[in-house]
Amino acid sequence: MQDAYITGVGRFLPGPTISNKEVEDYIGCIHGQPSAFRAATLRKNGIKTRHYAVDIEGNHLYTNAQMAAEAIRAAAANAKHDVASLQLLATSTTQGDLLVPGFASAVHGELGIPPLELASFQSVCASSMMAIKNAYLNIRSGDKQTAAACGSEFSSRWFRPGFYESCVAEEEARKPPIDLDFLRWTLSDGAGALFIEPNPKSDGVSLRCDWIDLQSFADRFDPCMYAGSSSNVPGENLPWSHYASPQEAYQAGAMALRQDFELLYKMFPVWLGYYLSLMDKHGFNPESIDYYLPHYSAKSLGEEMKKLMKSAGAMIPEERWFNNLTTVGNTGSASIFLMLEELLREQDLQPGQTILCFVPESGRCIASFMHLTVVTNKD
Amino acid sequence: MEMKSSKTAAQAVMRQLIITWTDFESRLLKVPIIERIMRDQLQLEDYRQILLNHRQQVIEGSRWIARASSSIDNRYPELRSTFIRHANTEHRDYQMLDANYLSVGGDVETLANSEKNIGSEALSAWMFHQASQPNPFDLLGAMFIIEGLGKQFARTFAQKIQKQLRLSDDQVSFYLYHADHDEEHIGELEDALQSGILSDDGLAGRIAKTARVTARLYLLQLEELGNY
Repeated sequence: MQDAYITGVGRFLPGPTISNKEVEDYIGCIHGQPSAFRAATLRKNGIKTRHYAVDIEGNHLYTNAQMAAEAIRAAAANAKHDVASLQLLATSTTQGDLLVPGFASAVHGELGIPPLELASFQSVCASSMMAIKNAYLNIRSGDKQTAAACGSEFSSRWFRPGFYESCVAEEEARKPPIDLDFLRWTLSDGAGALFIEPNPKSDGVSLRCDWIDLQSFADRFDPCMYAGSSSNVPGENLPWSHYASPQEAYQAGAMALRQDFELLYKMFPVWLGYYLSLMDKHGFNPESIDYYLPHYSAKSLGEEMKKLMKSAGAMIPEERWFNNLTTVGNTGSASIFLMLEELLREQDLQPGQTILCFVPESGRCIASFMHLTVVTNKD
Repeated sequence: MEMKSSKTAAQAVMRQLIITWTDFESRLLKVPIIERIMRDQLQLEDYRQILLNHRQQVIEGSRWIARASSSIDNRYPELRSTFIRHANTEHRDYQMLDANYLSVGGDVETLANSEKNIGSEALSAWMFHQASQPNPFDLLGAMFIIEGLGKQFARTFAQKIQKQLRLSDDQVSFYLYHADHDEEHIGELEDALQSGILSDDGLAGRIAKTARVTARLYLLQLEELGNY
């Protein structure tokens, strides 16, 4: 089997940097009333700035597919390859622009490059790792010599007031249900991509992809972050597509994006358990990880969890944690790409250093990890 | 060097125990009674049944720990003390549970005549069998699962029961107490694992396996609520 190296990283963040104070200027207010939970939620998620693919008048600046295509072009340029040389494109997103056909087709269309193989992954944050793994395996097997994986999100379109006004009454608009309001302050837009090939680039830093592991725990969790149903309780979780019409689904509150917090907190130990099992499977020592890129902040990991991790010899020293959630926001499937892009751009990576990426998904409980090793070449 | 290797060995066992426990705890979410508690569908009758079924295991718990302590030989006086202390701390816990049961309308006679459900029978038989083996330190794995449940789940459990049934603190004191106190036992477990017992060949694997069996039988006990 041949190796697989990440030789290019690219990102696309739409529009200007948006501060916490400006969020509602862009996504709007439900029934015209600002949310009373703004400060508390932002303290909790730690985000300070983000980007939106809409302007202040509510005009769409890009489609999700256009953002993905921009990130892929940047990744190909970073790898010093013509984007048209791609033999495989693996995309990931929470929700494409259209319901049908698949998102990868839309991205290929935007790129306008010659025919190539596609893989179209739709999940939430962990769809990113599914796409990367597909690209990685295609290179490893020798079936392809060039591949791109991308993640992109246009989350802000879910947050327009019109998506909520059937399920949030005017009198509760100042204090909307937390399962609806939290995500409005948390998710934002952007895209990132990786270029992957069998050899490191001749000049500069490449990342050898050592392993990628992903596991779903949907056998024990109901949907936790979801859209398309007004409830996640079995028996009350009629899918939007089962209503007599899209209007009826909307009226029933089935079109809003929701997060069940109680379930979310129950997922943390499960993710920890999976991480520990990978420590044993791959025999890695947390002390030997130089950069840990988790798709969440250290803050959200309670003291109790840290204590458990320490007792299991599993805690990666906090000074080695690297993420850019605070500045680029939570961009779902794009975030791991954006973290890697910034790591490569800003850190002085040395040959042999190791990187562990962690992407959990609260959608219906998925955890995924990727282990990378830094390789450098000089012409 | 000896210190470091006993720490590394203890950490490896802790990893296995946490993996088993996190699997166990998340599988609990699909046990019918827990699923209903999580969805705010609990009735007072359900709470009485939980207490009545749980009571058997609580009574037996300190008894098998006491049995285990009598199976520990003179090479391990510290651990025997720990086991005896642990049994002593818990052996009257069921009285708190009984008080909770009576405070929510349970009757004395039902309590006096209650027996183990078929899952509790299996769990109890397993625990006593293991506790009767010489130096049964594999039971540290069982304690981790049972205490871990106390520490991590009892609080959610108590709060949800209280909220759904509008009960006062003293009506759910058994679960609140365990949420507050079981943490200390986890510390004791870490100390025990680092005490040098892991130099015994195969013990690490037996601790992990006993944890897995106990977790499965504990689930069975909850799945068989009311099936006597």
